Amino acid sequence: MFHCKTFASFRAIAGGLALSLALAAGAAAETRLRMTIWSANEAHLKLFNGIAEGFKKENPDVTVSFESLPFENYTTALTTQIAGGNAPDMAWIFETAAFDFVNSGALLPLTKPLAATPGYNLGELSPAATERWSKEGVLYAYPFSTSPFAVFVNNDLIRKAGAKTPAELIAAGQWTWPQAIATAQAVAQTGKGGLVVRDFNYQAWQYLSSVWNAWGAAPWSADGKRCTLADKPMVDALGFIHDAIFVKKAMPGPGQNVDFFAGDAAMTITQISRASLLPRDKRFDWDLVPLPKGPTGDYAIVGQAGIGVLQSGKNPAAAAAFVAYMTNPENSARLAQFFPSARKSLLNAEVLGKTNALLSPAQLDRVVVAGIATGKVMPAHTDFARLQQMVRAGLDAVWQPKADIPAATRAICAQIAPLLAQ
Amino acid sequence: MNGEISARMKVALYGLLCVLLIPFVFPTWWMLTSSLKPISDIFVFPPELFPTHPDWSSYAQVFTVQPFAQQYWNSAWIAAVVTAATLAISSMAGYAFARIRFPGANALFIVVLTGLLIPSEVTIVPLFRMFLKLGWVNTHWPLVLIPVFGAPSVFATFVMRQFFIALPAELEEAARVDGLGRFRIFRTIALPLARPALASVAIFTFLHSWNLYLEPIVFLSTPSKFTLPQALTQYTDAYGGPMWNIQLAAATLTALPVLIVFVLAQKQFVEGLAHTGLKG
Amino acid sequence: MARRSVSAAEPPPAAPRPFWTIARRDTAAGLLFVAPQLAGTLVFILVPLVLVFWYSLHEWNVLANTFRYTGARNYELLSSDPSLPGVLLASALFSAGLVVLNMSLALLLAVLLNQKLAGIAVFRTLFFSPVVVSLVAWTIVWGFLLQHNGGINGTLRLLGIEGPNWLRTPATAMLSVIVVQVFKNVGLNMVLFLAALQGVPRELYEAARIDGATRWRQFRRITLPLISPTILLTSIITIVGSLQVFAQIAVLTQGGPGVSTTVLVYYLYQQTFQFHRFGYGSTLAILLFAIVALLTLAQWQLRKRFVFHER
Repeated sequence: MFHCKTFASFRAIAGGLALSLALAAGAAAETRLRMTIWSANEAHLKLFNGIAEGFKKENPDVTVSFESLPFENYTTALTTQIAGGNAPDMAWIFETAAFDFVNSGALLPLTKPLAATPGYNLGELSPAATERWSKEGVLYAYPFSTSPFAVFVNNDLIRKAGAKTPAELIAAGQWTWPQAIATAQAVAQTGKGGLVVRDFNYQAWQYLSSVWNAWGAAPWSADGKRCTLADKPMVDALGFIHDAIFVKKAMPGPGQNVDFFAGDAAMTITQISRASLLPRDKRFDWDLVPLPKGPTGDYAIVGQAGIGVLQSGKNPAAAAAFVAYMTNPENSARLAQFFPSARKSLLNAEVLGKTNALLSPAQLDRVVVAGIATGKVMPAHTDFARLQQMVRAGLDAVWQPKADIPAATRAICAQIAPLLAQ
Repeated sequence: MNGEISARMKVALYGLLCVLLIPFVFPTWWMLTSSLKPISDIFVFPPELFPTHPDWSSYAQVFTVQPFAQQYWNSAWIAAVVTAATLAISSMAGYAFARIRFPGANALFIVVLTGLLIPSEVTIVPLFRMFLKLGWVNTHWPLVLIPVFGAPSVFATFVMRQFFIALPAELEEAARVDGLGRFRIFRTIALPLARPALASVAIFTFLHSWNLYLEPIVFLSTPSKFTLPQALTQYTDAYGGPMWNIQLAAATLTALPVLIVFVLAQKQFVEGLAHTGLKG
Repeated sequence: MARRSVSAAEPPPAAPRPFWTIARRDTAAGLLFVAPQLAGTLVFILVPLVLVFWYSLHEWNVLANTFRYTGARNYELLSSDPSLPGVLLASALFSAGLVVLNMSLALLLAVLLNQKLAGIAVFRTLFFSPVVVSLVAWTIVWGFLLQHNGGINGTLRLLGIEGPNWLRTPATAMLSVIVVQVFKNVGLNMVLFLAALQGVPRELYEAARIDGATRWRQFRRITLPLISPTILLTSIITIVGSLQVFAQIAVLTQGGPGVSTTVLVYYLYQQTFQFHRFGYGSTLAILLFAIVALLTLAQWQLRKRFVFHER
């Protein structure tokens, strides 16, 4: 009858549950750690898994896996995982989200575990590098990548368009933004892409800082309390960019997807760590040069990435131990081939050149070392996700063929002023 | 509408209908043909109506870029379970509200009906927390439970009730006189007569579940658990730009089965809907 | 579901009345039949509605893992939110545009198809087909066609017209989203109108024609009033549905350019699941609920004025 049938199924379910619980209990001795990252690059993953293997040799019951979340929504996806009770043990953190994570108490303080690791030498990290990742002198996330922005160049396309290559312009002391755009424009007229600010894509406007810093512009004041988007340097910089996109067509317009590393664009501005995307078969003659000079002269800008240990993970202590291992001097040198380290001892061309086969010492010196030494970090703020969205929505008014830039930036400032004041 | 229509008017009518038909049919056609074009041909000018070099490779790539087969199965079994459960619950509730006189029936019906005023977007936050506390975030439970008990099933109950009200009651009355119990009557007499209504409830419940978008992206974070609508938007390259030909191939695979069923059973679809009693 | 069946035996006249009278059995049956639906409505709709209000009085910080009572603060934020007027305007534009276009197109198609002509059923099927195409698939194809260098602009270029960047210009972005949604669902309303039209007795038209009334007059005086119940019901469904449109905007424009296509539901999603402001998102949910309830009640009241009843 009905009752007997349900009871039988209840018994079956209960039995099944007991069995799986027993299995789980037996496996509890093994610790599994998960780190979320935003890179799906094969070379990167090979390196990380190699480091995880090395850690396993000394800690046989700890297995570390790396979960790649999509780059463009990384912070949202990570926060959603945390909200959903599915927090990873360790996570990469963008420099733009650093304030939110560090100030929230979600991260495990790392100073003690790192300093306690033999041979770690926490003191060789420069204060400038760790500023954003610390609160009241305690480090909450390790800045494993301090990556200057630079210009990757496709000399083949430039020569075909009959324009001057950046190397020639630098030699002539004429490597300025107007000249760079002129070269990009020439290539764009041959049907290929001109200059691509990678990752910007009309969404992540923070990457435009690699351009507007040349005008000394910034979205907000240094203390983060005042909106400076409507100030002259920013309006000038945006005007220049707008002109490059809509008049000169030297930069791709909204909705256009151009990939430099596939050989489709003359130049791209991106972080050094993207060098791993260069085609290994040397399909085109590429070069790496510093950012062009702007009205305020030379400038450098860096992006950072930190690794944090989440308190809400299941094994924060083990996770901290892995982070200490992954970022110790020896492994930092290995990471440095893709992710320039903040360790002073690793900041010279020879060390970088040893592990980085693709870049020449001259390039490394000129771009990487100098960049890290003098570079400003990308703009960040607390509650960055919301600020980012509001500025992004407001900037859509700038990315129209006919745009009133002063009015648009004033409107954005009006909107975000209350948020900045907090 | 009425009276004689001249031959000229007939031609004009057919012509007008064909023109109006374009935005309804062309996108589906474009989806099919573009999925067979290599990526370089997709944005070519002038646009080609037929693919000149049919390239089936994007269909293979659909399955390698993502666990598409798994995602297809996810959507399918969730939709099936939701449809079956909704049919059971709404037909019973609709029958009771239509036929059985019990105290509080009207009041309870109004209570249930308020569910129509409350879209799932309004309640998504507490539902998220509820499932979070149960540990059921990133599982398929929310995708089954929310449609089965939420607004779509309230609508289904409403439709079933309308249908049963309109159904002649003689057979049931006779059975009651014979002393048959309510459930027996429901199962053996009322349900078989309710096939048209059940069919249309099944159709729109299935479609609703097949198309669910907000709930999957809120609750699911592992690609192998995604449902089709969610999966379709994930065919992007490293830049975040869509891989058009693969995405369109996946879209075709998603849309085609339902379209084929629709073409075969079009009468049931269209007429069942018309007779849902929504005429007021 | 255990349900006792009644044996056919009559109780002996002298025995006491059994507990399970017909009425009691009916009550039990009725309650049992509606119990699953009722329980579901309570647990998954009504209780969450109360909880949404409760959450709107709190702020849940995910990273800091705190859940603090903030009283009416979220409502103050709501009234001073600089983005909200734009969001409400976008929602109003979208709903109004959608309802007007959808209903008039559905009526037009129903009238055209209400002929006894060969092959008319084929047209009916074709007009209905987008309804069964997967929503996201349909949206993706339109997104593909609406690209600056996509099929629509390609066709326009053949005619010598330079099409705009449909999805990236504020005015055309909203129009595009409306049009995509209209063509997807108008088939449904068309079928309902068709059924209603076919329920209008032909004699009325015959009589009117004999009296010399033009087609248009017949339409206004006979057709419209007699199908007004259907018009009302479909307009309620369409408007309430328009306030829930989410997938199309998420896929086509992500609320942009600017906030021109950020309708209330999308704004709610952004605030709640992208910025993780669950308290404020709940406040927006209450606002959405209020709007839906008000619109539905208003339309239901209007039925007394506009809907034709025979009695």
